[in-house]
Amino acid sequence: MSGDELTDLTASTPNSHGSTRPDNSELVRVDGLKKYFNVDSGLLSGLDFRFEYPPVRFERETVKAVDDVSFDIRRGETLGLVGESGCGKSTLARTVLRLLKPTEGDIYFEGENLADIGREELRSMRRNMQMIFQDPQSSLDPRMKVGRIVEEPMKAHDMLDTEGRRERAKELLNRVGLDPEHYYRYPHSFSGGQRQRINLARALSVNPDFVVCDEPVASLDVSIQAQVLNTMAELQEEFGLTYLFIAHDLSVIRHISDRVAIMYLGEIVEMGEKEEIFENPKHPYTKALLDSIPVPDPRASGAHGVLKGEVPSATNPPSGCRFRTRCPSLIAPDSFNLTEEQWEAVRAFMRAVERQTFDPLEESAIRNRFFEDVQLYGEAAAVIDEAIDLIALDSARADGVELNGSGEYSEQWKDAAEILLDAFARTSVCAAQHPAKDVEAGEDSDRFVACHLHR
Amino acid sequence: MSSNPLLSVEGLTVQFFTDRGTVTAVNEISFEIQEEEIVGLVGESGAGKSVASMSLLRLINGPGRIVEGEIRYKDRTLFALEEGPDGEPRKREDMLSDEEMRTEIRGNEIAVIFQDPMESLNPVYTVGNQLQEFIKLNRDISKKEARSEAIRMLREVGISDAAERYEKYPHEFSGGMRQRVLIAMALACKPNLIIADEPTTALDVTIEGQILDLVQDLQEKYGTSFLWVTHDMGVVADICEQVNVMYLGNIVEQAPVDDIFYNTKHLYTDALLDSMPRPDRTVERLKAIKGVMPSAIDPPEGCPFHTRCPDARQVCEQTHPDLRDVSDDANIIHRSACLKHDIFNVNYEGSLPMTDETKRQANTSAGTTSVNETGADR
Repeated sequence: MSGDELTDLTASTPNSHGSTRPDNSELVRVDGLKKYFNVDSGLLSGLDFRFEYPPVRFERETVKAVDDVSFDIRRGETLGLVGESGCGKSTLARTVLRLLKPTEGDIYFEGENLADIGREELRSMRRNMQMIFQDPQSSLDPRMKVGRIVEEPMKAHDMLDTEGRRERAKELLNRVGLDPEHYYRYPHSFSGGQRQRINLARALSVNPDFVVCDEPVASLDVSIQAQVLNTMAELQEEFGLTYLFIAHDLSVIRHISDRVAIMYLGEIVEMGEKEEIFENPKHPYTKALLDSIPVPDPRASGAHGVLKGEVPSATNPPSGCRFRTRCPSLIAPDSFNLTEEQWEAVRAFMRAVERQTFDPLEESAIRNRFFEDVQLYGEAAAVIDEAIDLIALDSARADGVELNGSGEYSEQWKDAAEILLDAFARTSVCAAQHPAKDVEAGEDSDRFVACHLHR
Repeated sequence: MSSNPLLSVEGLTVQFFTDRGTVTAVNEISFEIQEEEIVGLVGESGAGKSVASMSLLRLINGPGRIVEGEIRYKDRTLFALEEGPDGEPRKREDMLSDEEMRTEIRGNEIAVIFQDPMESLNPVYTVGNQLQEFIKLNRDISKKEARSEAIRMLREVGISDAAERYEKYPHEFSGGMRQRVLIAMALACKPNLIIADEPTTALDVTIEGQILDLVQDLQEKYGTSFLWVTHDMGVVADICEQVNVMYLGNIVEQAPVDDIFYNTKHLYTDALLDSMPRPDRTVERLKAIKGVMPSAIDPPEGCPFHTRCPDARQVCEQTHPDLRDVSDDANIIHRSACLKHDIFNVNYEGSLPMTDETKRQANTSAGTTSVNETGADR
């Protein structure tokens, strides 16, 4: 390595493309990626004992943390990945870097399939792919000085000699906005924002093309968060970096990303250019997410909390569209021929019974509350009547149940929910079919929405 | 402001006496909470907002101590000092005893919701058991009545299957559900004021939205007042009516929510709003605030924000601004602690602007480890 390369940090890229080349060539392509985990581990964990034949069977429950995800990341761009906790975004990131072995699918990095290359080869590829973690506290070894922390990856990849590494480490500390003299300090003397800068310097030390950032600013204060985000944007330009940026905070995603992917329960439900996603969201989940953010503007209309319930378990995700159990735009089953208004009333009633969101009422009160302006006919009316019968308060139940603890009544409430779900939710196209990824026609071929409403 | 606030705080100062020196975590803050009002206490970590809110209930343990100020709740004195015969400060006669605080104020009149619901719930008892016990103790009713009241409260805060969930342990609840349990617990004794310390910070945005909706519904229904402690200006804009912005132990701005956002009168609030990424529009480049918050052990002289303030002048280094009404509208009280405003009359305009060099000196002398966190703003 020559001295010139030390001063110009960007020039030593092995496959030296220019510092910023916002071309459209893809750096990473992920195709049909799946990552499943076995829920139980241990000797007898998979065994299932029961009183019928066969008495013992071997069954494994799996969590489908990432399920059939495909996307690409272009050179020099930032792809934002958003989703609620537990949606599988961190698992996806780790699998893309092959820190976890994919259950199925391919990951192409500069044309090489990471899913089936050998260990040694993978190790040398890792030089081009680095990761920054959320918790800057625990991702730095407290017993190592900052200098050694930053030099570590270079050492692992046999870059430069001792003197060269030290010089490069100090130069990098300067680039990420720290003092080169911090080289001699221990991590504990740094604030959260500064620690994240050390992480950045370490990731950049081996001159990677691709950096996966897993919630890098989530634990930082607003004013520090802005500093780190700005530094990351500068470094991206200077070093020609490509980021996969994971966050749960949509404001941060909107700020840093070029394109955005929205993840729900292991799947990407919508993806496209940032402005498109934020200004013209198509998937009901994306819409709901955007509506939930408290906007820092007291004059904005506060439409938060539009999504009810919580993310279902990934061991047993809902059939068809995974979002359907919370979806505010669930599609009416064809068989009933309901009008828009009728369906809205039925849907609201079904969800309310399912989640028991109202106190027990008498029959007329229930009808007043949910079906005041709507008249139902035929089979739909029969189902609703049956459900109301089960949960309505009559004179026999009038005492006691209001303060509800009685088992029988709560069983009936559940039966009513089952009847409604069977009739209206499980027959919907949303439950029957997995939504295909609908690619929007037009120039922006990247935009896709996985929702039955957009077919 | 009405003459009869639910809670009023006057010149509250809390100090921590540590080996490394005395830390003034809260410095002479004053604010009021009216009936049926949601008041925000906003600031970054280390601003002193949690200490300020906990001291309202006198929940400050050694080495911390309330050293000055008066806290009044309705017609009762939660905290007040007077000068003793030897000039020593001593508790004033009308101040409630620890016993009275425990039995009459905490829980019954003022309740708290903490950020981390797992730490506030006992993992070895069922959720129902804890809720029922709490209601039984505080409201003096039978176990059976407490049980049905507990189930009713669980349903009230939007927990489905309340009767069944009653028997479950805290770890069987998700984060959002646990937070609902805590809200149920806080509401159980029908307090007039709830102190909510970052209750939605650890939650996903969709769940946060649900909780904010719930709080607004309940507030409407019961008329409970809230002191909402948060770092999130989005949440503040959403639910608060009156806002206090804290920086390094001081309240630097105090105004109705609309004025905080649309007629900002303190440069820290301004900088904070500018440094946030927005969910509702794309900002090309964030205007980050330079540097880090100085250490509270050795805070800067003069205005606490002058080391990071873009408009700091030399006078800012010399004069500590108190909170003064700078409103241009007679109907609104808008207080700010910024020497820029004419009311302070310290010849701000005539003072020389501070250079980066002088600021850096101030910053290092304030004992921060960060000599150069300004890299982000090149």
